[in-house]
Amino acid sequence: MFRRKERGRDAEELDGVATFFGSHHALRAESVLKKAGYAVRLVPGPREISPHCGVALRFSYARSEEAACLLRESSVQFEAVHLYPER
Amino acid sequence: MRTLYLDNAATSWPKPGEVPRAVARAMIRGGGNPGRSGHAKSIEAGRQVLHTRELLAELFNVKDPSRIVFTKNATEALNVVLVGLLREGGRVVTTSMEHNSVARPLRALSPAGVTVEVVPAGADGRVDPRAVDRAIGSDTRLVAVTHGSNVTGAVNDIASIGTICRERGVRLLVDAAQTAGCIPIDLDRIPVDYMAFSGHKGLLGPQGTGGLFIRDERDLPPLLRGGTGSLSDREEQPEFLPDRFESGTLNVPGIVGLGEGVRFLLKRGVEAVMEHDRRLREILWQSVTADPRIRVVGDGPEAPEGARSTGVMSVVIQGVSPSTAGEALERRFGILTRIGLHCAPSAHRTMGTFPDGTVRLSWGVFTSEREIARAGRALLSIAAGG
Repeated sequence: MFRRKERGRDAEELDGVATFFGSHHALRAESVLKKAGYAVRLVPGPREISPHCGVALRFSYARSEEAACLLRESSVQFEAVHLYPER
Repeated sequence: MRTLYLDNAATSWPKPGEVPRAVARAMIRGGGNPGRSGHAKSIEAGRQVLHTRELLAELFNVKDPSRIVFTKNATEALNVVLVGLLREGGRVVTTSMEHNSVARPLRALSPAGVTVEVVPAGADGRVDPRAVDRAIGSDTRLVAVTHGSNVTGAVNDIASIGTICRERGVRLLVDAAQTAGCIPIDLDRIPVDYMAFSGHKGLLGPQGTGGLFIRDERDLPPLLRGGTGSLSDREEQPEFLPDRFESGTLNVPGIVGLGEGVRFLLKRGVEAVMEHDRRLREILWQSVTADPRIRVVGDGPEAPEGARSTGVMSVVIQGVSPSTAGEALERRFGILTRIGLHCAPSAHRTMGTFPDGTVRLSWGVFTSEREIARAGRALLSIAAGG
């Protein structure tokens, strides 16, 4: 049951990475997008993308425009959204 | 003899059981430094801190939780604003009911060119908003007002003062150390620019917690600069909230405990807390005013229309010094109070109780009507010389 749910979640490819200047905003982004029904995962920020913050947020890159709107509406400050498929 | 704790204005006790349990959990099962790493423990600590911030934002009706920054107490929060805004001088309007947490930083800023206009409170311990309006001049940079007096419990009308400040184009700093968690505060409706609050009084959290609401962070430098876990490649302090004001590792166990205190209040409702405090004030006031030798400093239940008070009452007993009365209350009746000047000499001058001070009784959410009646009987017995 649990495994199936996990697999279902992974069906949405987490190929986008949002980077932030500070972790408070990364955590708020996690909370805002989760509430909006996004599959998300906090990950250590890839150094080649951004030197700023320890954590970044993975979600579906296809939804990045809509996600950016949601984050702005909630006063969440983010640096950028990158296409960065999982390896 | 069961101890009766009536010093909640200094720090609330007891706390809801979930507060110390959450503190222990944060240290035993939690761990991790928020914002410092990308591993599970760091992220979880960050989530916990954010959770408390969101609960506070809900309590004070603040849309963006980033506008609430954590400090170690209300004093530090007040210093951030006073020292930050007035570092190059300017005129400040404040009141005669301020605590030393406002009065001392202002006094220390006088060599920097800060001048202070003190608006005296009335006999009921409250400041007339029109008097604040009259004191504001074209060069006034800040109005700093206590929301609730730690000596009399009198609550100032910050909604009217805020409206006046907004109309006059002056910023308003409110010291909510005594009122946060005891009196409803709607920051979406009340035009307050900065609000300092304590975490360990009405908000029922552990000591070493407090915070500052900042409506607009422009022109406000931090008091401390240092590691924030963000913009680590630069030597400049981050400009954004909350990191600008949160240098160094946060008191995570304390903040987690504070979250549980706020959750308790959200469930109970601050209106209900205020009504409980009012009812206990009425019982105590009716009990002690039966003896003309006991003077209640400030007002009782006959307060002006619409005026509010916190669960704080100061009394003076004719012929008995506050220190003698305080000692008798503890040794003979097991009642813990605070005597003296309560770090607010100017407030005592205003109320005519300087330099001897008063006996201050302050109750809280867990104080019962029976307990407050017991305190009333003890005061009557001391006044009667018995």
